[in-house]
Amino acid sequence: MGGQDNDAAGDAAFRDEIRSWLAANLTGEFAALVGKGGPGREHEFVPERIAWERRLGEGRWIGIGWPQQDGGRELSWQQQVIFHEEYARAGAPARVGHIGEQLLGPTLLMCGTPQQRARFLPGILTGTELWCQGYSEPEAGSDLAAVKTRAVLREGQWHIHGQKVWTSLAQFSDWCFVLARTDPGEQRHRGLSYLLVPMDQPGVDVRPIVQLTGTSEFNEVFFDDARAAEADVVGAPGDGWRVAMSTLAVERGVSTFGQQQGFAREFEAVLAQARANGGIADPDLAARLVDAWIGLRVLRYTAQATLGVPAGTTPGTEANIVKLLWAPWHQRLGELAVDVLGAAGTEVGPDYDLSDAQRLFLYTRSDTIYGGSNEIQRNVIAERLLGLPRG
Amino acid sequence: MEFTDSPDQAELREVVRDFLGRHVTPERVRAAAAGSDGYDAALWMRLCGELGLTALPVPEALGGAGAGFAEVAVVLEETGRVLAPVPYLSGAVAATLLACGEPDAARQFLPGLADGTAKAALALDGEVTLEDGTVSGTARNVADGAAADVLLVRAVDTLVAVRAADADVEAVGTLDQTRPQANVTFRASPAITVGVPADLAQDLLRTALAVEAVGAADHCLAATVAYLKERVQFGRPIGQFQALKHRCAGLAVEVESARATARAAVWTAVHDPDSLAVVGPLAKRHCADVFMHVTAEMIQLHGGIGFTWEHEAHLYFKRAKSTQLTAGTPAQLRRLVGERAGLI
Repeated sequence: MGGQDNDAAGDAAFRDEIRSWLAANLTGEFAALVGKGGPGREHEFVPERIAWERRLGEGRWIGIGWPQQDGGRELSWQQQVIFHEEYARAGAPARVGHIGEQLLGPTLLMCGTPQQRARFLPGILTGTELWCQGYSEPEAGSDLAAVKTRAVLREGQWHIHGQKVWTSLAQFSDWCFVLARTDPGEQRHRGLSYLLVPMDQPGVDVRPIVQLTGTSEFNEVFFDDARAAEADVVGAPGDGWRVAMSTLAVERGVSTFGQQQGFAREFEAVLAQARANGGIADPDLAARLVDAWIGLRVLRYTAQATLGVPAGTTPGTEANIVKLLWAPWHQRLGELAVDVLGAAGTEVGPDYDLSDAQRLFLYTRSDTIYGGSNEIQRNVIAERLLGLPRG
Repeated sequence: MEFTDSPDQAELREVVRDFLGRHVTPERVRAAAAGSDGYDAALWMRLCGELGLTALPVPEALGGAGAGFAEVAVVLEETGRVLAPVPYLSGAVAATLLACGEPDAARQFLPGLADGTAKAALALDGEVTLEDGTVSGTARNVADGAAADVLLVRAVDTLVAVRAADADVEAVGTLDQTRPQANVTFRASPAITVGVPADLAQDLLRTALAVEAVGAADHCLAATVAYLKERVQFGRPIGQFQALKHRCAGLAVEVESARATARAAVWTAVHDPDSLAVVGPLAKRHCADVFMHVTAEMIQLHGGIGFTWEHEAHLYFKRAKSTQLTAGTPAQLRRLVGERAGLI
């Protein structure tokens, strides 16, 4: 789909570099990880994927777009796209360090103190410290400003009480960045702080949530007098909303292209199934397959056209647009994947063991909910891009 | 792949958008549609002469500006935005094809197309055969056919140029009054080989239609959003209602995706024409479908006023349908893409 055919000379050499590295390293203990950890399989091979994260760090493949002075490689946007494309093309395992790399790291680069960057960025870059995101709560989902988790500064430590939910990978994480109310007199967006909280302490309790796939990626996290160091607040105390919004703004940029490579693999599998069982002879299924292929092309063009523009030149709704394209597309692919199977698509293995098609069908219901539901995305586009009045 | 304008293209876009925005009103579009040939002759003369837009794809040696299809596409997005009542699309696609074909055909037809003294039409969907340098058969629903001086005709796989004077051209009424059509019959009409595969011509036309649809859809969305901000019901602008906001946001996503796809097709036409066999029909299908959806929503979100003859919405709605049904219907293009991409 273009990509590798259109690389400039330096980019082509870079593509070769990452390709060779992946070929040389996805071997031995890591060979079994190919294709693991994707949608509906996030529970698979976690210790091995954590080890793989360290291997990536040794290869300096984490934080490749970060400034060199902060330990990154300062690679161009195009080369970051190439990295994500090749990573996905090789079937390298779903990342477990992406929350630190893609959310916390950029936030610290924007809002952290030199001491915070020096303390926390190396752990992300080496894949030795994993992070989870403590934003959503039972009463604060789409309405994030309604967070009730509170933190009080006492004797040089933040004391944290409350509950977070939908916390991906919390059971494997070393740290959590937590949005908590530190000024009880303030409401909504004011009086929140962005705290860096160690997970391995008595006051933190993680309980996995069983999803409709039967597996657990998300968790509930309970804070009962959990502690964070006084200095581990990003931005000023009370200014956490602004810091959190800067995190959300960097979510899902360049990694979209690797994600699309993954989509292409999933599509190929569905197409192969339709050819194998004769489903492709059904005009309705054939039409849906072609539409899915066209949709993937359109998605790729749109991501290239919107995410590729220099920051600050557009209203900043590019990621919202791209998510509103890919999430429903992915859902339709999941529906198509089981429809291609026909009645056989209704049968599962022992212990509710699902096929890839079934996982895709079930897991993709979450795509239009997490990271800002489709409804929230549409609010953002209507108000920020189109300038329609708030209700 | 480039999705943004070069500085020169951005300047061209600004000039054309500004000019058309000032001179092409819905009233003028309507007046042209009601006129004898469906065009606004004064506007056409200014686009050709003053702005030199018809010269863009023509080599300098033949009286042109020596630009290319990327620049033509910039203009098409803007003529599409206002439904400019001129045969620019047909002429510019024909000129682009002639400019990369045989020198004989290029020399005969390009100077006239460059200065606007000649008009062209594309007859790519007919039942036409080529024998001994002549063509015979019929092509129906040829856009801009009645006013054309030269027709680029698909005769099986070959693209030929035929003088309109050598064919029987019969104007027909059109659902979309902003783009006249004709049925054309050839009876051993002398034909000159263009030297470009007929399939490529068809895919370039599809690309042009996709680009034009993007400009039009963009306008329809902007006009609808503007209306929702000013129309007051229940004591508030109806644009505050989430049911309507969400529909506009959905349309915005569609329009952005159409713009990106059309620009990808333009890039492909210029830099990787072999791939246009897939990307051209893909872009036309997607952009026409988006255009159709946006115009349908434009009518609905304007309420009763959107259903009137007086409002401009129906002009776009009808253009969207004619865009969707010419040069391959959505179902035909889906099958074509599926086959050419090796999926089905």
